[in-house]
Amino acid sequence: MKIWNSKTIDFGALAARWFLGGLFIYTGLEKGLDPVSFLKLVRQYDMLHVPFLLNSVAAALPWFEVFCGALFLAGIAVRGAALTLTCILIPFTAVVWHRALVLQAARAIPFCAVKFDCGCGTGEVFICSKLLENAGLILLALWLLSGRGRWLALRYSLTGKNECPAGPSPTNWSHSTVEKT
Amino acid sequence: MRNRTSTLAVLLEAALVVAAGVGFAFAANALSPRGLKLGRNYFPGAPVSSNAPARVSTPPARSPSSTNEDSADAQTIARLKEKGLQPLSRARTEELFHDPRYEQGLVVFVDARDEDQYAESHIPGAFELDPFHPEKQLATVLTPCQNADQVVVYCMGGDCEDADSAAILLREAGVSNQRLFVFAGGFTDWTGHRLPVEAGARNSGAAPVERK
Repeated sequence: MKIWNSKTIDFGALAARWFLGGLFIYTGLEKGLDPVSFLKLVRQYDMLHVPFLLNSVAAALPWFEVFCGALFLAGIAVRGAALTLTCILIPFTAVVWHRALVLQAARAIPFCAVKFDCGCGTGEVFICSKLLENAGLILLALWLLSGRGRWLALRYSLTGKNECPAGPSPTNWSHSTVEKT
Repeated sequence: MRNRTSTLAVLLEAALVVAAGVGFAFAANALSPRGLKLGRNYFPGAPVSSNAPARVSTPPARSPSSTNEDSADAQTIARLKEKGLQPLSRARTEELFHDPRYEQGLVVFVDARDEDQYAESHIPGAFELDPFHPEKQLATVLTPCQNADQVVVYCMGGDCEDADSAAILLREAGVSNQRLFVFAGGFTDWTGHRLPVEAGARNSGAAPVERK
């Protein structure tokens, strides 16, 4: 018996796209509407010492997240947005991990007991749950990068044909037909 | 061949997303009333130079001690000294608050926290100076600070460096470093000892709303 049919997977991909879109818009707005707080958090990582670079990252990153989130929600350039967010999430997760190791050493506590505001837009979090969360987000982004999430997409691809139908009833549509583009 | 074309298409699409996203992000920051000024150094910390502006008013009747920092941790004090700032203990801050010169404007308190925190509660009579948006209040605060014998700047205390930034801002604007002090324990220490506070505007005398 086939448990995961194509329709189920497509609904899952649509949910993943909307979830990522909503999440990035929410966390981006949390930071973008209070850029001074985000600036202080970025500074804690002690990686950018030139004011212009520090300010640029703190000023642009939240709104960039909002932009990518909006692309996911609307279904525009989905794979491009997924690749971009993956490229942001992986180094960001590494940096958060490194910061947690520094805090762990300073506080002499178990790694998973380290709790701090990583500038993720969700306040103080325990590092282990944050790393798991980021791993999940990266996997979802990679899944969308593989070509899923075409349902209800306004313009799935900027560079190819967009066979995506307007609603989730693709009776004569499948991934194989789209991939032929 | 098709895979390679598809990969290139995704890379091209990602490049377009990055370009459009970066443009959108900087435009949003520029249009936002809370947006950051990219060229500004929000965390000034250069040690004070030996040729700091000389004081012009009469010397204080009693110089506050910068030792005996009863409530601030050593790290905070070290940080302040590294920036050429003078840390002030809670006991000395309290003494200055009750000093008759406070009523005469010869002792000035400056609150370096943000607008919302200031409105919620602050040390009675303290001026507001958010170092991240100084254009709003600097002109109002500068003259009283220049005319005062002692200026006490505070934020939340501890790791909070907003008071450092505000003090450096005042120093760069012409307030003598000798008269500038940073209350190292900050507002957390002040309220922790149930010292007087007021809400709303400066000298409003309004009691802060109790948080449930």
